[in-house]
Amino acid sequence: MLDAFSRAATAADASGSFIGGGQLAALKTFVAEGNKRLDAVKAISTSASCIVTDSVAGMICENPGLTSPGGNCYSNRRMAACLRDGEIVLRYVAYALLAGDSSVLQDRCLNGLKETYAALGVPTGSMARAVAIMKACAVAHVNGTNGDRGPQATNNTINLGTTAKGDCSALASEAASYFDTVSTSIS
Amino acid sequence: MKSTITTVIAAADNAARFPSASDLESVRGSLERAAARMEAAEKLAANYDAVAQEAVDAVYKVNPQGNLGRQPRVCDTEGKDKCKRDFVHYLRLINYALVTGGTGPLDELAINGAKEVYAALSIDAATYVYGLNTLRNRGCAPRDMSAQALAEYNAALDYVANSLG
Repeated sequence: MLDAFSRAATAADASGSFIGGGQLAALKTFVAEGNKRLDAVKAISTSASCIVTDSVAGMICENPGLTSPGGNCYSNRRMAACLRDGEIVLRYVAYALLAGDSSVLQDRCLNGLKETYAALGVPTGSMARAVAIMKACAVAHVNGTNGDRGPQATNNTINLGTTAKGDCSALASEAASYFDTVSTSIS
Repeated sequence: MKSTITTVIAAADNAARFPSASDLESVRGSLERAAARMEAAEKLAANYDAVAQEAVDAVYKVNPQGNLGRQPRVCDTEGKDKCKRDFVHYLRLINYALVTGGTGPLDELAINGAKEVYAALSIDAATYVYGLNTLRNRGCAPRDMSAQALAEYNAALDYVANSLG
């Protein structure tokens, strides 16, 4: 498993060179923007159950056959397995976002997943759709644009006053890229 | 390659949980110190040649044969080049260790097996320890890098010296 820092070290070691200049500049940005990254991971982690449930529910709404007899989410046992898989994928995406590198996602989650799904008869198209919804959801949480939380919830949120909102677009697109990695590798 | 972040993720993964508040807190602690480590790594990357030369000169000043061991080398120039190559190697891995924030690169690429290799080649590891200690005592806070950066750099030098000694 690598993170942004050890990825740089591994790359430099391959050519026997020191890490300096451009590579260090990228890592310095990583460090300077570190708090945003932690906030992004926190946003995804604390809303994990909501993100997963929404995406699986969305996937089924679009394709109700899944929960009908003969569908792949028919029976609570299989529905539970589906929710569990969604949570696993989201968890590894959260790890990848924390590390700033997709190796943990690749090595520990996606490696062999497509083959496993093929063997178990899981429709990867549906899974990819759930991942796409998770992506939209997670990006919204990272950017802080996750919709109307209702009047009561709004009363409970901290009033930021005149403090300008941080720009997390770079992290949002990084997170989106990890979800895309998942989609590409299973379909 | 191990670093603070990968260690935290591995622990979270073993428990199959999302990164917890305390996980994020320990990553934050590491990132806070990272700026100083990056500075040390940058300065080292820019000046490693002169730094390694200093270590070599120190070693050869104590022993003109270049090796503090029982079987001193007789090949002066070649020995000097190899000595410098080895110090550059250690400095490069220290550069990686400073960047990753852990001793992983040093452990994996230098320290594991070093004693056995030096024993087989009849090189006294004390030669390197002496050179590294010289560098350890040579760094000067505002002149070379900031105090915090120097502390991180010295800690890495100490780590290698202690592991070889």
